[in-house]
Amino acid sequence: MTATTASPSPVDDFAAIPTRIQDEVNRAIQRSIKGVEYIASSGPTLGSTPKDVLHSRGTMKLYHYRPMADEIYRVPILIVMATTNRGYILDLVPGQSFIEFLLKRGYDVYMLDWTAPTPEEKNLRMEDYVLDFIPDSIRRVQKDSGETDVSVIGYCFGGVLSTLYGAIFPDGPMKNLICFTTPVDFTKMELFHNFSDRRYFDVDRLVDSVGNVPPEMILTSFEMLRPASRVAGQVQLWENIWNDEFVKSYRMFDRWATDTLPLAGEYFRTITKDLMWDNKLFTDTMTVGGRPANLAAIKVPILHAVAEHDHIVPYEAAKHLIAKVGSTDKQEVILKGGHVSLVAGANAIKRLWPKLDSWLGERST
Amino acid sequence: MADNKNDPAEIWRTMVGEMEKGFNTFANQAMASPEFSKVVNQAGSVSAGAQKQMGDMMEKYLTGMNLPSRAQMTNFGERLAAIESQMSEVVSILRDMHQAAGGAPIGDATPRPPRTKRPPSNEGEGA
Repeated sequence: MTATTASPSPVDDFAAIPTRIQDEVNRAIQRSIKGVEYIASSGPTLGSTPKDVLHSRGTMKLYHYRPMADEIYRVPILIVMATTNRGYILDLVPGQSFIEFLLKRGYDVYMLDWTAPTPEEKNLRMEDYVLDFIPDSIRRVQKDSGETDVSVIGYCFGGVLSTLYGAIFPDGPMKNLICFTTPVDFTKMELFHNFSDRRYFDVDRLVDSVGNVPPEMILTSFEMLRPASRVAGQVQLWENIWNDEFVKSYRMFDRWATDTLPLAGEYFRTITKDLMWDNKLFTDTMTVGGRPANLAAIKVPILHAVAEHDHIVPYEAAKHLIAKVGSTDKQEVILKGGHVSLVAGANAIKRLWPKLDSWLGERST
Repeated sequence: MADNKNDPAEIWRTMVGEMEKGFNTFANQAMASPEFSKVVNQAGSVSAGAQKQMGDMMEKYLTGMNLPSRAQMTNFGERLAAIESQMSEVVSILRDMHQAAGGAPIGDATPRPPRTKRPPSNEGEGA
């Protein structure tokens, strides 16, 4: 038997026209009113989950979020944020905050976040991040929580730093490792790879002349991956400006995406030469401060969440992490969404967060 | 409800979406070429050089006007940050000493919840 779907007849279409016109007129009026409101207001407050600064040193800031559950898991979590962006993407607004979700599910959460490196910090190297900032944060988390074990979550380049740390310190104290959209084969980040083509991109000259790499340059390189999307986004914003939820969401993500951090010059030089040019993480030749950082050395349970439509870290660049680590308890999850919607927003609430909770809860006692 | 295919607003939305996708694809193809990298990096190199020269000139001008330069202000900020960092360390040490002496917790005064939580499956609640 074939099911028949009643398609609207031309008469139905004709009858619907007055309602449609009325809707459009209402929306046009709302657009004018809300458009003025949009310009006059500053948008929602982001990153407002209660927290304390546990330690602050130059570009690094270590936060402890105040627990929200009556009983928490034994093993605390340290989130290592990407060095190009602010950590509040994981703590947007109540109800859309990954941090809040973790706290309510009974995790004790710490975050290693970054502020803009000052011109004097242009000499920060990869070793400062991997052999100093992360180990120092872990020691402070251990001391504050009274626990030896710590689970680490790294987002994007925070995932690269976390895997380097895990590879150099395989005997702990990292108990579990969770990476979100973490690249391993940098040649598969094709556009970034082409932008930094060693025949034309003189990284030494850039770093020697500007010190820290300006945030505008980082932002431009991200936006160049989808050059039409900013304009299309603004068209969509105008069309949906009558819709408070759409506007709130647009403002949150737009503010975060444009709030890019500069990168310390020496650190950027190493990223370009060792990872972009020589692809050392993929070829198992990466060293940090003279210490080998081979992914096979990582033996702790690991979960890698990657996005199906990630235009910044394509799946081809990220898929090798699970294959290369030496862990026996390892899992990759490919979820719908993009680089940001994987971790924040409606998609993340439905897909990534519950998955992470069920995986990590069992390994946090 | 009217068929979406005949809805001008829906047609407009689809068109914007398709144009975005098409332009991004086209631009990505163009940007993947070595020629693009060459041109962009030449332009970027000129811009970085000009920025550096401008900064040097401005520094001389500010010195001449007896005004603090950006570098000096940054240095001043750095020193403040270093003082803040050391104060944070001192507070941390004092807190530890206070607690070691049996004092009540300072600052985040709410007692921490017990670390006894088990995953739902272990509690018989189902995953």
